[in-house]
Amino acid sequence: MKNVILLFFWWIATLGYSQGNLQFDEANALYNNGKYEAAITIYEKILESNLHSSALYFNMGNCYYKLNKIAPSIYHYEKALKLSPNDKEIQNNLNFAQQMTIDQFDAIPELETSKFINKTANTFSVDGWAILCVLLMCVFVGFFIAYYLSNNTKTKRIFFIMSIVSFLILIFIFVLLNKKIDLDNERFGIIYQQEINIKTEPNLRSETAFVLHEGTKVQIIESYKNTWSKIKLIDGNIGWISNNALKEF
Amino acid sequence: MKLKSLLLIIFLSSFAVAQVKFEAKASKTQLGVNERLRIDFTMNEDGDNFTPPSFENFKVVGGPSQSINNSWINGVRSFSKSYTYFLSPTKRGTFSIGQSSIEIDGEVYKTSPIKITVTAAVDIPKDPNDPNYIASESIHLVAEVSTTNPYLNEPVSVVYKLYVAENTGVRNWSELDSPRYNDFWSQNIDVKGQQVKEGKYKGENYRYVVLKKTVLYPQKTGKLNIEPLSLDVSVEVPSKRRDVFGRLMMTTTNRIVTAGKRTINVKPLPSSGRPNDFSGAVGNFEFNMMSNKSTLKATEAFELKLEVSGKGNLKLFKLPKPNLPSALEVYEPEHSEKVSTTLSGMRGSISDTYTVVPNTQGQYPIPAVTFSYFDLNTETYKTLSSNELVVSVTGGPKSNSNENSPFEGVQKTSVTALSNQFSSFKSNGHLEPIAKNPFYNTSLFWWLFLGPLVLIPMVILLTRKLSQRAMDIEGNKTRKSNKLARKYLSAAKKTIGKKDAFYVALEKALHNYLKSKLKIETSDFRKEKISILLSQKEVQKEPISQFLEVLESCELARYTPLEVADMERDYQKAAEVINALDKQLK
Repeated sequence: MKNVILLFFWWIATLGYSQGNLQFDEANALYNNGKYEAAITIYEKILESNLHSSALYFNMGNCYYKLNKIAPSIYHYEKALKLSPNDKEIQNNLNFAQQMTIDQFDAIPELETSKFINKTANTFSVDGWAILCVLLMCVFVGFFIAYYLSNNTKTKRIFFIMSIVSFLILIFIFVLLNKKIDLDNERFGIIYQQEINIKTEPNLRSETAFVLHEGTKVQIIESYKNTWSKIKLIDGNIGWISNNALKEF
Repeated sequence: MKLKSLLLIIFLSSFAVAQVKFEAKASKTQLGVNERLRIDFTMNEDGDNFTPPSFENFKVVGGPSQSINNSWINGVRSFSKSYTYFLSPTKRGTFSIGQSSIEIDGEVYKTSPIKITVTAAVDIPKDPNDPNYIASESIHLVAEVSTTNPYLNEPVSVVYKLYVAENTGVRNWSELDSPRYNDFWSQNIDVKGQQVKEGKYKGENYRYVVLKKTVLYPQKTGKLNIEPLSLDVSVEVPSKRRDVFGRLMMTTTNRIVTAGKRTINVKPLPSSGRPNDFSGAVGNFEFNMMSNKSTLKATEAFELKLEVSGKGNLKLFKLPKPNLPSALEVYEPEHSEKVSTTLSGMRGSISDTYTVVPNTQGQYPIPAVTFSYFDLNTETYKTLSSNELVVSVTGGPKSNSNENSPFEGVQKTSVTALSNQFSSFKSNGHLEPIAKNPFYNTSLFWWLFLGPLVLIPMVILLTRKLSQRAMDIEGNKTRKSNKLARKYLSAAKKTIGKKDAFYVALEKALHNYLKSKLKIETSDFRKEKISILLSQKEVQKEPISQFLEVLESCELARYTPLEVADMERDYQKAAEVINALDKQLK
């Protein structure tokens, strides 16, 4: 009985996948014929069936780019990048989309090391790192036991060094895992309004700190009453924005 | 009675005829301080020693002049003599002109005082024959203001007209004082060829000439003054005289005419419904944004033109700025104005032309720009939005913001250009459920992660126990001897307490031990033989003697009574001896 239920679920799941893939192909065909709006509606349908992928978001971003819709385009590229952070194509098209934006800020320079660490942390997902951790732990334990059990001094030495090395790698991977979790926990958003005044306080009375335009990516630091968000720009400026003008990804 | 009264009348009248009259007559008893007063002292008989009054508070401006009037009409003589003074009051108030006196026929007559009220200055009626007066009546400078209650920045036209009456002429004029329009933006409109036109001024026919036209845009709210224009005009006015042909002679006079000071009350623009981007434009406009190219190559330039056309204060507001994508290089705009000013205000177009250079390829939407103005017709704010433009830039260098290194070769640029194509869609979906079950931080993960670690102490413990067994010699020995004892002495141990059986078993055990160790036959079981054999095996003497002792005590025990304790002692001894021997018998 249990097997039957499992089988049923598996069947439903594969049905979903195959249907999603069919829709995906259909949307791609529409995209190829220049019917971007129609393609977007189908892509949206795939999303509604709780399926996603970086390719899906990437294609949606392309559609919006072709329709000259800056904010949705950047939003979907960023979503795609979140799923596969080191994808060159997505990065490339995101650059294209970002050229359409009006705001331009000089980023606070990032240290080469932290850049490298971020990039490395982005090579796998959290779960990927977790699996790696488990595997490396097994390797380390294996080497250690081998070291402990071997009688020959030479093999003992080799196993000892290998176990130490694998342990160090394990620690490094665990650090990367946590870094990746931190990166995943950073909240970002895209400005959806053509022009918006960023306030110094979470109300409309307060002074305008600066003005942002559509498509600008901001980091969300905190939220207030679900209607205001404190945002940080890449140049380090901080202000409050009404949530209506912002879409988090 | 009737006769009597008649006689009386005749008498009285004859008396009256003979009466001397001396009176003071003022031309008026009430006058303005700027007016003059004529006073006549008249008598009907000639007299002497006329003394005028003191005329306090008055100034004698003329007189005294004497006049005598003597006439005979129908045989009746009438005579009058008068002294006339012209007086001008020196201040306001009520004054009396005092008595004057005259001596007639030896008698002194006096006039009664006259009360005169001097009021504030009054307009002095002009002498209609005075050329200046005529000029003032027949020449008028008028400023016609189109509206006296405009909005801020609403055009106000001021037209100066010189009205000249039909019977007068103007030789020439010169402007004494040009009006200055403080708090206004003003523009003069050239009046070409001053044409004389017919018109009406206060209901009378006049000829007029337009001297000056000015359009004003008030720049401030509240009451603003337009300073008057003053002209010095040479006027020809008709005089009463005529020349030999009977035509009126003209006299020329100079006259300064000014158009009165005008006050304009400027209304502020309504604050309700004012758009945020309102920059002060008032009128009726159209707004356009144009680009001269829609597709171009990178590093080529295109022009973006923002134009406002229509009617209103075109020169007085700033054009909105376009919001261009940051990837476009924009230069300062070129401003051009094509505005003509008429009496109804400015009309035409102003434009800002931006030169834009896209450095990298891509599509650049230029968002719509809004422009707001105040519509004077509907008195509301209106916002116009331009159309959105899209400029697509093809080819050209990449967008990567790599610093241009001087060593950048041709190959490299071609490679980067290739990598900077806009990537098309991805055909492979790799779809996966959005809500994925995370693996990290689940208990499964922690079990799998930390589980192997438990193996280490487990293995360590296991091996340590094994090696202990292998390495601990002392323990091994005792264990071994115990084993030996168990092997050989188990039968003896069972029979402790039964004297004969115990010693038999003990002896047998000892023999067995020797047999297994030394491989000797039971028949050959003598003490001498045993000690020789053992010493041949390099066993020391002490264990040998002990062994023999135990054997001996086994034999002796058969004949002597023994306690259980003795048996225990012998058993221990046998075990020790076996152990001792075993150590040395290898």
